[in-house]
Amino acid sequence: MEKPTNASRRDFLNKLGVTAGAAGLVGAGAVAGPPLLRAAEPPKGKIPDTPFKTGHLTFLSGPAAVLGEPSLKAHTLAAEEINAQGGFLGKRKIETVKADEAAGTDANVKELRRMKLSENIDLFTGVISSGNSPALGPVCEELSLLSIFTDGCTDFLFDKIVPKPKYLFRLTNIQSADGITSAIGTAQAWPKVRKIAHIHPDYSYGRNAAEHFTLAIERLIPGTQTVSENWPALGTSDFTAQITKILSSEPDLLFTSLWGGDYVAFYKQALRYGLFDKMKVATTLAFGAAPHAIGKDHPEGVLAGVHANYHFTYPGGDRWPINKSFVGRYYKRWNEYPNFEAEGAYTALYMLKDAIERANKLTGGWPEDDAIISQLEGLGFDAPSGYIYIRPDNHQGYKDTVIGFSKNLADYPFPVWDPDRIITIPVRNITAPPDWPKPGTTHNESTAAANWIKTTWPKIST
Amino acid sequence: MAILVVQVLNSLFYASVLFLIAAGLSLIFGVMRIVNLAHGSLFAVGAYVAAWLVGRAIAMGVPAVWLLLLMPVAAFAVALIGIVIEPLLLRPFYRRAEEYQLLVTFGLLLILEDLMRLVWGGLPLTADTVMDAIPSIHVGAQIYPGYNILVLAIGVTAAILLWVVIYGTRFGVLLRATSQDRRMASALGLNVGRVYVAAFAVGCFMAGLGGAIVVPSHAAVLGMGIEALILAFVVVVVGGLGSLKGALVGALIVSFVRTAGIQFFPEIELAVLYLIAAFVLIIRPTGLFGTA
Repeated sequence: MEKPTNASRRDFLNKLGVTAGAAGLVGAGAVAGPPLLRAAEPPKGKIPDTPFKTGHLTFLSGPAAVLGEPSLKAHTLAAEEINAQGGFLGKRKIETVKADEAAGTDANVKELRRMKLSENIDLFTGVISSGNSPALGPVCEELSLLSIFTDGCTDFLFDKIVPKPKYLFRLTNIQSADGITSAIGTAQAWPKVRKIAHIHPDYSYGRNAAEHFTLAIERLIPGTQTVSENWPALGTSDFTAQITKILSSEPDLLFTSLWGGDYVAFYKQALRYGLFDKMKVATTLAFGAAPHAIGKDHPEGVLAGVHANYHFTYPGGDRWPINKSFVGRYYKRWNEYPNFEAEGAYTALYMLKDAIERANKLTGGWPEDDAIISQLEGLGFDAPSGYIYIRPDNHQGYKDTVIGFSKNLADYPFPVWDPDRIITIPVRNITAPPDWPKPGTTHNESTAAANWIKTTWPKIST
Repeated sequence: MAILVVQVLNSLFYASVLFLIAAGLSLIFGVMRIVNLAHGSLFAVGAYVAAWLVGRAIAMGVPAVWLLLLMPVAAFAVALIGIVIEPLLLRPFYRRAEEYQLLVTFGLLLILEDLMRLVWGGLPLTADTVMDAIPSIHVGAQIYPGYNILVLAIGVTAAILLWVVIYGTRFGVLLRATSQDRRMASALGLNVGRVYVAAFAVGCFMAGLGGAIVVPSHAAVLGMGIEALILAFVVVVVGGLGSLKGALVGALIVSFVRTAGIQFFPEIELAVLYLIAAFVLIIRPTGLFGTA
């Protein structure tokens, strides 16, 4: 790839395919029609009616339950819907064994083995923490257990730990895309920012977000500098000292990857110190943990991230009926709006259903795991969040990343995205392409994406 | 300069909350020789009850200033929980080895954390209407929330009251006597059981009050009790477990060093607190004011 040296910002953003406003394309799959609503064709061959056992691991207690409970709820909803049609291929009803990810990494690995060896699960799904996915991934491979992680999105999993997965798939966008998406949103909305303050939870996610945001912003807005760094522990509730320090460095922009209860505590305190009046604020997860966790007092115009994955208001209205009907059914079942974990868990089961049906058409009867896997590889799927594509080389799901600006609308008792300012970015333009050298081969960057940006992105001149 | 003043106020605010938690933990250990691992969760219960009460009261149209009175109500609710827990759960274990006490209070921690999730759900619970009832003040170009000053005042008042009670009243004498020699106190006709319930309730009240007054400025979230417990342990390790003076000095040290760490060494913000604790443990294993 040629390396332009004096591209303008607008040219480069156009080249990345960044779309802002309500006109963003949803994806190429729209022609196929919504598979979730497609009438079931009778399966080929004889299908056993034994239950299809699924292990769902997610956070059911502790601070991350705000992420995890919606995951289990959406998994349950999808299972109920599929079971109402008789189950997979109309015969095999989904039974779920749930487990609490808050038990800790070692306990999670033991639970995964127990689920396979004594409960004999057919599918393992869920997983939120990027601390857990690198420990669980290799075990899924070792147990030859078909697995669809719905988060645990660290680049590290497929860059280093399981570089050639067979049984393991993952749906959420990879972590590096999160910080880069916020950087692109920043460059597009506020190209004049120069002094940047950071506050991130001190673990792999916060470090990854800060690193990739900075890599991208340095290229998109030359001359930026970091004026304040803050690394509170995950689960911190008092941010007063960090807020005062940020104010003292007089930044143009604050970038944060705080999430869940941490973000709620942070923005409430920052409001009272007048922080939002004095600088722009960009986030990766302000609206991600749960859309309804944020109050109407949240300032408008904040670049509000959703882990670069999904907010239930987008694609909105009647433009993408799959989303409208998913949100409607989820709301009816659980009396709340889904978060991105919910969308992922829901999509995982329907995507598998699609793959099983395709495999059945080819092989007849209940397909072997290998047949299902070969259908999942390269599968393009219309999910509530848009079009998602499973890359065959690393089994990673890719969909356009999305971010928006907070705004209070009369329709919801919490802030949502300003429907006219939603930014979408084709994911292939901000992630390393297939076969890009992994860390530890020809380079020692933290991720393949970091090396790819350093090698191929131009420094913008104006 | 304004920044320095605000950072000092921030540290004192944080120290007030830390003191309320750590003093309760220390008091309970001082009198009953039990390390209550569920202490942080009782702090969290105080926060949740306060936030819940505030939510109810707002729904009923109670004016914002009156909501402040709900803070002690939440603290009393936690004290009531303490009155139930001590005789039922803890008393059978005083004569057993410390491991059993740790197991029981750790079990209690897990139960309380799950109960909070069952009752109040996984979403953060907020009560910031209370905070906005008190106007902000200006420190140079900086804004400082008036509510935080109130929290600071409550912390100072609680410390003074606790001193008066322990060193100036008959109840305080009974507490100290029991703390120094339980058997002798009992032999002299003291109802040790009642002293224990009272001490445990006071400790729980302080934890609950800490949670209640902090929730308007933060938010009640799952896991906040664990964070509070760890910080309270750092405080008592520095100050000395069982010493009120230790809890006060420990809270101030931890709070000011944390602020300094945030301001000057953000990369090791997490480690700074443990470094102080490790340092104190090496030069004075009983803590600055510990005796045992």
